[in-house]
Amino acid sequence: MVPRVPVLLSIGFAVALLVAPLLLDDWRLSQLAQLLTYGLFALSLAFIWGQAGILCFGQAIFFGVGAYVMALVTLGEVPLLGTSQWTGLLCAMLGAGVVALALGLFLFGGRGLTGAHLAIVTLCASVVVEIAARRWDFIGGFNGLLGVPPLMAPWERDDPYLSSIETYFLILVIVGLVYGVLLWLSRSPFGTLLAAIRSNEDRTRFLGFEVTTAKLFAFTLSGVIAGLAGALFTAQFGFVSPPLVGFALSTEVLIWVAVGGREVLLAAVAGAMLVRWGENLLSDRLGQYWLLAMGLLFILVVVVAPRGLFGRLLDLSARRRS
Amino acid sequence: MDLFLSIGLDAVSYVLTLLLVTLGLVIIYGMMNVINMAHGELFLLGAYTVVALQAVGAPFWVGFVAAPLVVGICGLLIEQIVIRHVYGRSIDTILATWGLSIAIKQVIIILFGPAAISIANPVPGSVSIAGVDYPAYRLVIMAVAALLAVATYLVVYRTSIGLQIRAVISNRGMAGSLGVNTRLMDRATFAVGAALAGIAGAVMAPIMSVDPQMGVGFLIPAFLAVLVGGLNSLLGAVVGASTIGGATSILSSVMAQASAQIGVFLLAILIIRLFPQGLWKETR
Repeated sequence: MVPRVPVLLSIGFAVALLVAPLLLDDWRLSQLAQLLTYGLFALSLAFIWGQAGILCFGQAIFFGVGAYVMALVTLGEVPLLGTSQWTGLLCAMLGAGVVALALGLFLFGGRGLTGAHLAIVTLCASVVVEIAARRWDFIGGFNGLLGVPPLMAPWERDDPYLSSIETYFLILVIVGLVYGVLLWLSRSPFGTLLAAIRSNEDRTRFLGFEVTTAKLFAFTLSGVIAGLAGALFTAQFGFVSPPLVGFALSTEVLIWVAVGGREVLLAAVAGAMLVRWGENLLSDRLGQYWLLAMGLLFILVVVVAPRGLFGRLLDLSARRRS
Repeated sequence: MDLFLSIGLDAVSYVLTLLLVTLGLVIIYGMMNVINMAHGELFLLGAYTVVALQAVGAPFWVGFVAAPLVVGICGLLIEQIVIRHVYGRSIDTILATWGLSIAIKQVIIILFGPAAISIANPVPGSVSIAGVDYPAYRLVIMAVAALLAVATYLVVYRTSIGLQIRAVISNRGMAGSLGVNTRLMDRATFAVGAALAGIAGAVMAPIMSVDPQMGVGFLIPAFLAVLVGGLNSLLGAVVGASTIGGATSILSSVMAQASAQIGVFLLAILIIRLFPQGLWKETR
């Protein structure tokens, strides 16, 4: 039996990422690691949006919370926790998860909000959080926090900082693990429940499923992953600032996922990497025209190809054509 | 006392302009179920029409008349090129119009530059109301906004065109089979909704600094007003605009701008959460 094209393409994508260090110099490799971090962020949104149908316009809240917590812990601003990066990563995931759970309880509890209401409320929430972050001096106010140390080796050695190839593989492994877990979840009975909620929430509720709990779980998990992405981002770039929690990044990630393909996890990763790569490559040359092209591409994808550029190519669940 | 009066006047003028933007949103949503995220940019287009005409030396009032025409035509084009393809895909309309909003804003930045531009005040001077000196032009804005709101209400509830519009809103298929041209209605509604935003932009241009980000500044309060007041109802838009506009004016007179913004957003989120159908339906 010949494996289907999407499976081959998915494997090809993974192999390409694995052999990339052989072909790229240090600087390009660290850029690729950054792209992967954006991919992880996109993964978190694709999970709730593509699988459970929750269109969240405030995904950057969780990314930003993770980034801020990581920065605060590794800079030693939080008493009693030490400055270990592992504590930082853990706290970042925990913090973002708690924020997501709280927001989720508010959004989905009781009668719950859906569709446009959900989109507008999460959009406003991200604006509120960004304004608040600008004014809160403990987390650096308008300037944010600078000088966050880069990723370090977990054991004692001469050069404690990870080289760019080690950083790359660490992030690749994390992205791979998260992707594996989410893929497994979406193909498990729980994933079927999420798909049912996506296609008709009321009917699923009447059939006796715990819709609210399922949505809460998915939302919190997505928050945890976004927080992890934020924490890794901070360690790679060395700073956090209020735009990371805000409205602009929230909508950007939405564009990445839509362009890649919202229904397929790997497609979302590919979309994020493609758009960010294009931005690095072209935004200097095209200037303001880059964003214009981005807006037009986004419209085109939404109108003509709702499944995104890679949705069909990487869809593992697609039935085999006879 | 004077202070209260001037805050009150500020609140009324903000509420009325917000109402203009909100009315367009409500009409478009009610008619086509399209959540128009690009509405703030239509507002922006109105303001920049005035800027462009000022640059060639035309008086403000020419711009004021031209703005709804230009933006209305833009609305027609947008409907024809983008929106009609996503009817019935409610979430996709949010995304497509969001892409439009990015694109329009970038076109403006490319054409006019990112810096703020100021427009000469067409009606300088102030008028004394019960002992308070109030800028005359703000009174003009209030009058224009109130007139347009009343006119919209009359068209929708007192004319045969309004009857057709309401028929399409309540049952599109039935209205179509009774001979209403629903396609034409969609086009016209989108154009009129856009034109209303265009007028709002033109009228507000002299008292705001016109810059490419001003659209977003109006879009979010307008959306909150729509959801707070309740979708699908013009009177709901009035209730929503009053709540959001009033709260913004009152809060920003007692605390810093940023805190007031946070306060209003939190209030609105809470209302939307507690009354998902909107305040108007709840109180009726």
